[in-house]
Amino acid sequence: MENAINLTDSVTLFQQIELFGGLSSAQLERIALLSICEAYMNEAVIFLQASHPDAMYIVAEGQVAVIVDDIPTVYLGRGQVFGEMALVDSGVRSATIQVVDDGTLLYRLSINKFLALCQEDTAIGFLLMRNIAKDLSFKLRHRHLDSSDS
Amino acid sequence: MIYKVSYVVQGGDFPGAIKNETEMPTIGMRVRVGPRFFRVVEVYEMMPPRDGFQFIHVVVAAEHEVAFS
Repeated sequence: MENAINLTDSVTLFQQIELFGGLSSAQLERIALLSICEAYMNEAVIFLQASHPDAMYIVAEGQVAVIVDDIPTVYLGRGQVFGEMALVDSGVRSATIQVVDDGTLLYRLSINKFLALCQEDTAIGFLLMRNIAKDLSFKLRHRHLDSSDS
Repeated sequence: MIYKVSYVVQGGDFPGAIKNETEMPTIGMRVRVGPRFFRVVEVYEMMPPRDGFQFIHVVVAAEHEVAFS
């Protein structure tokens, strides 16, 4: 269900997300205008593993489960990004994403619109791609620590 | 400051989580990982802070395990 959130609130939220680190308020407004904020109920499936990607998502509130081969591997909460691998490699979804909390709010960004913005404004494109690399690095470190504890 | 936190559940029986927090996690704090609650048992910095973010690794344990340890 689409959720009415104003531009100022979106920019304020985006300022607290590492993916958008280094971007100005004006640049964040451009991204906010491309995004749709949607509310979901517990157990809603956002996308399925091996499906073809068309968007990436940001968790504004609540949590989602990242499920690989029917096994939950990590939960992502406020401020986290998922579906961004498709931006980098255009491959199919590596995991299923399922909502864990009622009222989970997600920002949905169309990959085509997002890539068009990155190409049109290369300053935004550079920062976003750098930040995506940092986020993927953090997720790899988390996965390493998680598997070393088991 | 935003705390980007990697939560790992002690024992590895339950998946961890990654979340942004506005408060630094501390030992004994009750936290939610997925649908369940846990207690923080270890906290350390994962890498140096940058751009207003601190990167924290937290180990959590089931509440009954903390109470009896």
